[in-house]
Amino acid sequence: MIMTHPGLPELWGYLVWGFMLVLGLWSLIAPIPKKLQRRTFRLDNFWLSQPLVLLLVRSRWPLWLLKITVMVLFLLVIIAGLYGTPIAERNLATVLTWNIWWAGLIVSVFFLGSAWCAVCPWDTLANWLIRPRLWFGKINNSLDLKVPRYLRSVWPALLMFIGLTWLELGVGVTTSPYATALLSLLMVLLATLSMALFRNKAFCRYICPVGRTIGFYSQLAPVELRPVNADICAACTTLECYNGNDKIDPCPTQLVMGSLNQNTYCTSCGNCVHSCPQQNVSWRLRPPSHEAIADARPHWDEAWFMLGLLALTAFHGLTMMPFWEQWMSIFAQQIGDSGQLLISFSVGLTMSMLLPIVLYALTILALYIITGKKNRYRNLFTGMVFTALPLAFAYHLAHNLNHLVREGAGLATVFMQPLGIGLAPLSMAEKHQRHFDMLVSQDTLFAMQGLLMMFGFWLAVKVLRYRGRSLLPQAGWRMFPVLIFIIMVNSFHLWLLMQPMVMRM
Amino acid sequence: MNHYMPMFNTPMKKILLLILILVLPANAFSHHVLGRPAYSLNEDSNTPPSMQVETQIGNYFVTYMIFPAFPKAGEKGRINIYASRIDTGDTLSSPVTFLVRDGGWFADKSEEILGTQEVYDGVYRQGFVFKENGSYIITAKFEAEGEPYLIDFPLQIGESHSMLPIGITLGSILLILVVVNIIQRKRLMREKIRETRNES
Repeated sequence: MIMTHPGLPELWGYLVWGFMLVLGLWSLIAPIPKKLQRRTFRLDNFWLSQPLVLLLVRSRWPLWLLKITVMVLFLLVIIAGLYGTPIAERNLATVLTWNIWWAGLIVSVFFLGSAWCAVCPWDTLANWLIRPRLWFGKINNSLDLKVPRYLRSVWPALLMFIGLTWLELGVGVTTSPYATALLSLLMVLLATLSMALFRNKAFCRYICPVGRTIGFYSQLAPVELRPVNADICAACTTLECYNGNDKIDPCPTQLVMGSLNQNTYCTSCGNCVHSCPQQNVSWRLRPPSHEAIADARPHWDEAWFMLGLLALTAFHGLTMMPFWEQWMSIFAQQIGDSGQLLISFSVGLTMSMLLPIVLYALTILALYIITGKKNRYRNLFTGMVFTALPLAFAYHLAHNLNHLVREGAGLATVFMQPLGIGLAPLSMAEKHQRHFDMLVSQDTLFAMQGLLMMFGFWLAVKVLRYRGRSLLPQAGWRMFPVLIFIIMVNSFHLWLLMQPMVMRM
Repeated sequence: MNHYMPMFNTPMKKILLLILILVLPANAFSHHVLGRPAYSLNEDSNTPPSMQVETQIGNYFVTYMIFPAFPKAGEKGRINIYASRIDTGDTLSSPVTFLVRDGGWFADKSEEILGTQEVYDGVYRQGFVFKENGSYIITAKFEAEGEPYLIDFPLQIGESHSMLPIGITLGSILLILVVVNIIQRKRLMREKIRETRNES
């Protein structure tokens, strides 16, 4: 029997749609402020955050402690997956990986940016194996090759993300502890191989689908790691942040702090914080839209990754609708697909990816024509794609909150018996109980989801206005095709949220 | 420890099978079910948990259940199969033959017939007792509207001590480290030779 979570109530639907209509109309007529206010807030100066930030800046052991904790949990996931019960909801591997980590990861970006990358166990293990720092010094087991030019993009990460989605939703890795453990081992192997071949951390920068997803979403995070005083960086000739020093590794993704203006490739490892001789690097708060509005530079491959994110997040939601299996079944009959319907699923995945991309491409074409071809199509394509980012992020957050709040309840039980050996599957009564045993009340959850959808739309409109002005200064109301695109995508996301959602396990 | 791995007990084999399914056109409706396991347990029922897989093949929805969910060697078990037409919901009525073969990597692939069952109350029931632990493949074979149907599904008897994934991972990492170190040494040697040549 399929268990479903109730969807967002109609009232919230009307509220969000009303908000979109009003804000959308306002955005077409309201003048855009000439100067973008850049207000930031140093966290090492604020009394509440100062002790924690200074601890992280001055000492490396808190990060090590976190790394070791995450590593222990990761190893536990592998052991539980390989040797524990195959009952997904009783095994730590599936519950911790898919219900908590995978769902909570995106929520963590909302508060902490790319902090996960700093404690990522795949990278930590690879680093311990390939470039360990021991008491007698550093060992280098890497060939330190240059990453080939054709790999220096986020295309590999996008392909990996599509592959991961296929495994997750098509093959059903999320319901198999054993497969979850295998996937974890595979990721460690890939990270290790990449580090053994290439210099720095090519896996994190170009290949890791999780890291790149976090990276792009981090453009909307309210925290950033930046120079305290830009003049000090401008005068710096040694670039310890980039090159490292005797004790601290160089920046794993080859960023120079002085010219850093986007979070995309920052892994929050803190190497720059510790290596800077002037102690000129620290965390600060910022408005969550600055980077997407102005700072982030458009790139062709990154534009496709952002569109991929938009398509795949909606696809995740779509496959958890009760009607999805019915669609797949009907389609499978038409094409003669059998079994797990992987061909039908793959076609569904491809279509779900193509549809928003084609829609976006047509939107930009309309914009290009309406505005009299004043800027190149490619520039508009890569520049306006930043509007997709907040839409994907907001829906991803709202969708994952459902998993986290409604399905995170059994975690304590699973920690008591991580391998779940000898336990019976959850009975229907227990599953029902979990529905009521939510981390926050259902109304609070609905409010958070509704507000997130408004937040995403608001950010997307802001990006549209500012990016639109920089790309097409005289366009004004002629930017409306992109606004329609934003409304259509957000409306679809909202509609998905309003449907009952199938429980993961 | 009861350990059952319905999908991935031999990963490479499953990947190859999957590729074959995707690539090779088959005259008969035939496939290997990789389907996700579900465990039905009703609080009103006194039956033990069962492993349940639902699948779609040709014009039929097929559900198979294995009792108990984690069978052991020497223990009686049962496979139940329900098959109904997708369009009309009519239950399959032709007999179903159950075959078994060893699912191990290098095992003998010859099949043994477990039995042929007629439908009773909409269900085909096939009992089994395995003498030895291991990974087996059960094939359910039937004919409907003149078309042959074959469904393979894995059956794990007893515990499965799988060191294979960890072994493969550790082996691969070791191989990477060894190869990298060999190349590094060669590089070093080449550099030394070059330096010596330059000096002379």
